[in-house]
Amino acid sequence: MGLFSQSVDVSCAPDGQPQSLQWNGTTYAVCAEPLRWYERRQWWAEESRAPLGSGPGVVDHEIWRIQVLPANTSGQEPPFPEPLTLDLTRHIRSGRWRLLRIHDALHPTTA
Amino acid sequence: MTFTHLHVSTAFSAHYGVSWPDELAQSAAGDGATALACTDRDGLYGTIKHLKACMAAGIDPIVGVDLAVLDDDGDHRTQVSGRVVVLAKGHNNGAGYRALCRLISDAHARTSGKAGGTVPVAVTRAELASRTLDPTTLKPVLMVLIGPDSDVGRAMGGRRYLRPRTLFKEWLDAMPAGTLVTEIVSQLSAPGTPLSTAHAVRMLRLAEEHRVPAVLTNAVRYCAADGAPTADVLDSARTLKSLPELAAEPLLQPTGQGWLKSSDQMHRLAREIISAAGYGKADLTQLLSQTEALADACRIDPVADMGWKQPVVPEASVIGINQDPYAELVQRCSAGITRRFPGISGAREHSLRARLEHELRIIHELNFSSYFLTVAEVSRMIQDMGVRAAARGSGASSLVNYLLDVSHVNPLQHDLIFERFLSQDRATLPDIDIDVESAERHNVYRKIFDRFGAERVTLMSMQNGYRARGAVRDAGLALGMDGGEVGEIAKQLWRFSAGKFREALQEKPELRDFAGRVEQREMDGNQQLDLLVDLTERLDRLPRHISMHPCGVILGDATLLDRTPVQPSGLGLPMSQFDKHDMDPMGMLKLDVLGVRMQSAMAFAVREVIRLHPSKKEVVAAGNHGPGPQGTGPDYIADNGHIDLNAVPLDDEATFELIRSTHTLGCFQIESPGQRELIGKMAPREFNDLIIDISLFRPGPMKSDMVRPFLEHRHGFAPEVYPHPDLKPVLAETHGVTVFHEQILKTFDVMTGCGLAQADEFRRALGNEARENAVEVFFRKAARAKGYTPEVVDKVWGTLKAFGSFGFCKAHGAAFAVPTYQSAWLKTHHPEAFLAGLWEHDPGMYPKRLLVAEARRLGIPILPLDINRSKDEYRVERISSGADAGKLGIRLSLKGIYGLSATELKRIVAGQPFDSLADLRSRARVSKPSIKRLAQLGAFDALHKDAGGSANRADLVHHLQTLQSTGARKSSGILEGQMALPLGDVELRNVKPGLPEPSVVENVRAELDLMAVDVSTHLMDSHRPLLERLGVTTADKLLGLRNGTEVLVAGVRVATQTPPMRGGRRVVFISIDDGTGCIDSVFFHEAQENAGPLLFGTRLLLIRGTTRRTGPRGISLSASMAWDLARTETLPVPPSDAPVPQAAHPLDGITRSLAITGFNG
Repeated sequence: MGLFSQSVDVSCAPDGQPQSLQWNGTTYAVCAEPLRWYERRQWWAEESRAPLGSGPGVVDHEIWRIQVLPANTSGQEPPFPEPLTLDLTRHIRSGRWRLLRIHDALHPTTA
Repeated sequence: MTFTHLHVSTAFSAHYGVSWPDELAQSAAGDGATALACTDRDGLYGTIKHLKACMAAGIDPIVGVDLAVLDDDGDHRTQVSGRVVVLAKGHNNGAGYRALCRLISDAHARTSGKAGGTVPVAVTRAELASRTLDPTTLKPVLMVLIGPDSDVGRAMGGRRYLRPRTLFKEWLDAMPAGTLVTEIVSQLSAPGTPLSTAHAVRMLRLAEEHRVPAVLTNAVRYCAADGAPTADVLDSARTLKSLPELAAEPLLQPTGQGWLKSSDQMHRLAREIISAAGYGKADLTQLLSQTEALADACRIDPVADMGWKQPVVPEASVIGINQDPYAELVQRCSAGITRRFPGISGAREHSLRARLEHELRIIHELNFSSYFLTVAEVSRMIQDMGVRAAARGSGASSLVNYLLDVSHVNPLQHDLIFERFLSQDRATLPDIDIDVESAERHNVYRKIFDRFGAERVTLMSMQNGYRARGAVRDAGLALGMDGGEVGEIAKQLWRFSAGKFREALQEKPELRDFAGRVEQREMDGNQQLDLLVDLTERLDRLPRHISMHPCGVILGDATLLDRTPVQPSGLGLPMSQFDKHDMDPMGMLKLDVLGVRMQSAMAFAVREVIRLHPSKKEVVAAGNHGPGPQGTGPDYIADNGHIDLNAVPLDDEATFELIRSTHTLGCFQIESPGQRELIGKMAPREFNDLIIDISLFRPGPMKSDMVRPFLEHRHGFAPEVYPHPDLKPVLAETHGVTVFHEQILKTFDVMTGCGLAQADEFRRALGNEARENAVEVFFRKAARAKGYTPEVVDKVWGTLKAFGSFGFCKAHGAAFAVPTYQSAWLKTHHPEAFLAGLWEHDPGMYPKRLLVAEARRLGIPILPLDINRSKDEYRVERISSGADAGKLGIRLSLKGIYGLSATELKRIVAGQPFDSLADLRSRARVSKPSIKRLAQLGAFDALHKDAGGSANRADLVHHLQTLQSTGARKSSGILEGQMALPLGDVELRNVKPGLPEPSVVENVRAELDLMAVDVSTHLMDSHRPLLERLGVTTADKLLGLRNGTEVLVAGVRVATQTPPMRGGRRVVFISIDDGTGCIDSVFFHEAQENAGPLLFGTRLLLIRGTTRRTGPRGISLSASMAWDLARTETLPVPPSDAPVPQAAHPLDGITRSLAITGFNG
């Protein structure tokens, strides 16, 4: 499993679920029901202000675990590429997405 | 379908919940909810506020508690297995609420009520099970929610399949059928961690397996997501660990998702859990409908279930009456007329009877007879104990109270209006406050419990919220900042709310340094300070803990403990979880029994007077009292010398002379710097002047500049003006200025004919934006109709509007003025006994050492500590020899010496006199360090002299020090048999001389360190050479200076005040004592800027200012600059070749700032 923090562009469905993303010049499509949770931030070290009314996203950020395939695989012959499992994080206050982890396809981690 | 939140902590879950009941109820109602639960941790602390908030928001309240459950295994009664939520079922005539109250009281029954107790607030499962069923109907009245924080939920982690099942089975076996529910919570934390969807799914499956209903909650801690960081800080404050430490454990909330989510969000969450469980739509519907079904079963009817606003008083039989309470009240009032007004007749009797009938009619209509009889019973009980007691506050407006001996102020004499206290238009139980001697307060409480029965009485509690200093300390702790650094910052925070910290940084000069450091964060990378400010503001006002209210006692009937949960107070007596705001909503009769130290000090003084002068003749001579009607002295002095203070006439000229001199240190209500200034200007001549003085010295009148015109009119500098001749009778006593509530009531009545009861309702509406308009419309219309001109109406309305909201109740003023006068009377006639009483009970605002200075000023000798003459209290003593022979002096008390334990003190007093140190050691078993401290304070000097040794105090201390460090057990080596021989103290005689006598500075330092008073000499004395060099003026010389003279003064801080002022600009009053008297200085804005951190941070001050004459006998200083006297290098010493005198100072190295300066800066 590799650990990254790289900015990515994600397009979402109206309910907020990621559908596809642009990464390293390739477009990937989400190919399975994603998993979503929240994780704590060390906000006292990362933020310099936390006034009342800061709104959501000081304490935690959203994590999405998605499985993706390159978007242009429709015409390909077998063997089909293995789906990639990625952990994305969405910073709640800015709405920006970053790629957090890439799970090794051979040793998929499960929840 | 809307969603009902069943698990919600409010801010009243101390150090846990973040949001106020109002916010939560409004937010729920705004989202369309029809009910909302309040389940505070460990109690119903926020429940009544929740009820109020729900009623205001138009939704149904649900009440419950989040409670810890003890581990059933073995004897581990201190081990908590987890927490559950317990909800009361509603609409069962209070059966659910009753059971909830009793259950919570069970949970607290084993705790000590003291901070740091080891027994947790928790119930056993057996207690929980037994309370869930109504004892008579055996129907379930409580519902228990087994959720993520229960033992079952906590066992969900890991891969253990069986453990949660076993635990859940135990619950099923233990609890009556139909009382158990599972609580499904997901705060969307990482899969497999607590509060994750995965755990929620496991709990849901468990419920399914056992066919137990499951409900969805969000275990709410804050109203909106914004509250999550505050919850983190509260977790840190609760556990006393920093956020980085908690994060490492990990003990912080796993996510910030515990807010009051909307119905939509909760429904989406339910779908997420159901789909993760692989269940279908029917299961989703079932989860949500079961949640709503439980909510419906638990909707509370505030009136039928909780007795909302229905006053409950003790049963008639308990207060010893067997007839109709009203008939009893009428009879007792008649008896009171005979006692209070012997021989009254004619027109006076007529008006008295008319007033009484008027009061009785209103009391009868409101059905409050039992209430008055209850208060009278308590009051009688206290007086039977021989304890001084007097009603204060608006209760003094009632003739009934006067006739029942509840109050000692005759309302007719002072023109007090009953409607200010009670009227048919105001059906809430009125407040009657009873002042008692502070030293007897706890005994009075115990007696009330005995008298009415423990089932009918409980103490009221109070909520202690975060203020600036506590907030910054806990915010600093959360951030892991250095405790010392945060402490330094906290010191500078003085009297502003934590919520305005950032604003204060811009404005307050003493915070300038800190504000600069916050600004500099970019440069030194110190982001923490900025965050510290934000977190401090977040904590503002949040409740920290409850404690015993200083005076509230709740009295009820035998059902009281069904209506409020109780927990042990620090005093050992039970304390309600409700505070003063909850009393009226819950129909609880609250009596304020206030401990007033001045009452104790006065009672002490009266006892000292008898002890010294055990006959009327001696007291009359000692106190210089008049000859009285029979020529043998006044009637208020009994034959045994006892003075009946309440019978002392209120017109003693010598007493008023003392008050006018402004030497009123130690006198009730009139000793503060501001009051001494006002007294000096006003020069009171009679009792009513004292009432006016006390009423004027309030934030409102001071702020709105009522004082100046009053004084101008009083002294005839300006003609009195009345808006209309009709108002002259109303306003004449205060020269046309509206001071009293009573005057506002009469003004309304005179100009509109509305009646006094209605007038008081109007008064209450003043200052209330929503209601004031209607009052204005009525007033203008009715006054015009009575023929007043528009100009008069305008002018009077302006006065009412401006002064109405903060005028003072004259009855309060009158009730306060009595002890004011009495204390001044004692100071005038028996100053030694009075000062001894003040030292003993410390009633005032100043540090005790200032009263020592006052004794010095009055020429009253202070007698040193003496192991054989000092007792466990201050004593007045006739001096037998020396320069002061024949005078009365005050002997220092052994109590309050640092390190001397209460049991040592008891043994010393019981064993006096001692003929040697060995005798003291063997009979009083005083520890070595204590003996050394007593020696340092000179307690053995007399014994030492008698023993005939040639050594001095320093030698003796050295000798004791050696014994202490060698650790010899039988220290002196004296044989047992020697003690009986009258040889004097061999040990003392043989102490080896050689050391120099301790200097005065050293002696004073020991006194300050061990007793916080400077007795041998004033602590400023060692600064004398430096002060002379600086050209400092002393306090006793100030009065001789012209107004506007620039002077330097110096002294030790004795008072620091920041009263509210006109225009809202802060003014700081600092009083210093230089040994010749007290100097009151005032720092206006610019002076505050100049003085900066010195304002609140220094003990010894040098102040430059100009004199302001405040009256014929009063002078104060308008400060322009201040210096810290301890930092000699900064002082404005005039240039000269001679070096700046450097002297050792008694305060060097002494840390007891609060006790010495009255200020913990």
